[in-house]
Amino acid sequence: VNLRTEPVRVANGSDEDGVLVFTGDDRLAAIVTRLSERHDDLAGLWFLEVGFGPVDGPSHPTFSSIDAALDWISQRLRSRAASKSLLA
Amino acid sequence: MASARSWLFTFPATFRTFQSLHLTTLDNSVGTITPVKVGFIQHDVLWVLCQNYPRIAAALWRETLVDAATFRRWLINVGRRDANARIAHVLCEMVVRMRAVGLAEGYSCEFPITQNEIGDALGLSLVHVNRTLQDIREAGLIVLKNGQLQVLDWEGLKAAGDFDPTYLHLKDMQAAA
Repeated sequence: VNLRTEPVRVANGSDEDGVLVFTGDDRLAAIVTRLSERHDDLAGLWFLEVGFGPVDGPSHPTFSSIDAALDWISQRLRSRAASKSLLA
Repeated sequence: MASARSWLFTFPATFRTFQSLHLTTLDNSVGTITPVKVGFIQHDVLWVLCQNYPRIAAALWRETLVDAATFRRWLINVGRRDANARIAHVLCEMVVRMRAVGLAEGYSCEFPITQNEIGDALGLSLVHVNRTLQDIREAGLIVLKNGQLQVLDWEGLKAAGDFDPTYLHLKDMQAAA
C-alpha cells in the first residue's frame, strides 16, 4: 500500500507535531503525532492518534519511527483488503 | 475478541469470586497488583452460615447487589464519558473506598496502579492516560507520585469525574463527603 504524508498541527493540547497519512488514492487513513517531552519514557515516539476505516479500532500503538508507523498502517489496510476479497 | 482484556479494580476488605457459590463456572480471574492477604472460606461453611443465619445471607446478597451497581456505573463511565471524566471518576472511587475501610489519610491513599493498568481498565491508550493524568494534575486537582495519590481539590475532582457515590451504598457516607 502506497502511503503519502503531510505535516499537520494537531490541537490535542499536548503533542501537536503530527502528520496526516493518505492512501495512494488520496483518502485520509490516519493521523499520527510525535510525543512531546511531556511523556518521559515515550517522548519522541510516534503515536496513532486516530485511524479511519481499517485503521480504526481500540488499539492506539506507539512506534519508534514514522516509517514503522506507516508499515503498521499499510498492514492494517492490506489485511482489511484481503478479508474483503475473501468475502467477495 | 479472544485477546481483549479488561480489568476491574477491587479493593482491600472485599469479597471476590463469591459468585462461585451459586454459579458452577467462574467466568473471570483475579490477579493482584500488590502483595495481599487472601482468606478462603469453604462453600460448605458458607452454605451452612447462610442457612442458619439469614442476616448473613442477606448481607452477602447485599454485597452482590452493590457489586452490580458498581458494574453499572463502570459501564457508563467507560462507555459514555471522555478520558478526563473517566479517570477522575476512578480516582474518586478509589479514594472513597480506601477511606471507607480506613486506609486513607484525609484524601490521600496508596495508588499502586500503573498507567498501563488504568488504560486497560478504562479502554484508553497509555498516551491518553498520561495526557489526561497530567491535565488533572495541572488543574491542581491531584498529586500522583511514588505510588501515592493525594487529592488537593476534592470538590474539583468530584466535579471533573461527575462522581456521585450513591452507587457504592456506603453505610457511612462520611467517607464520600
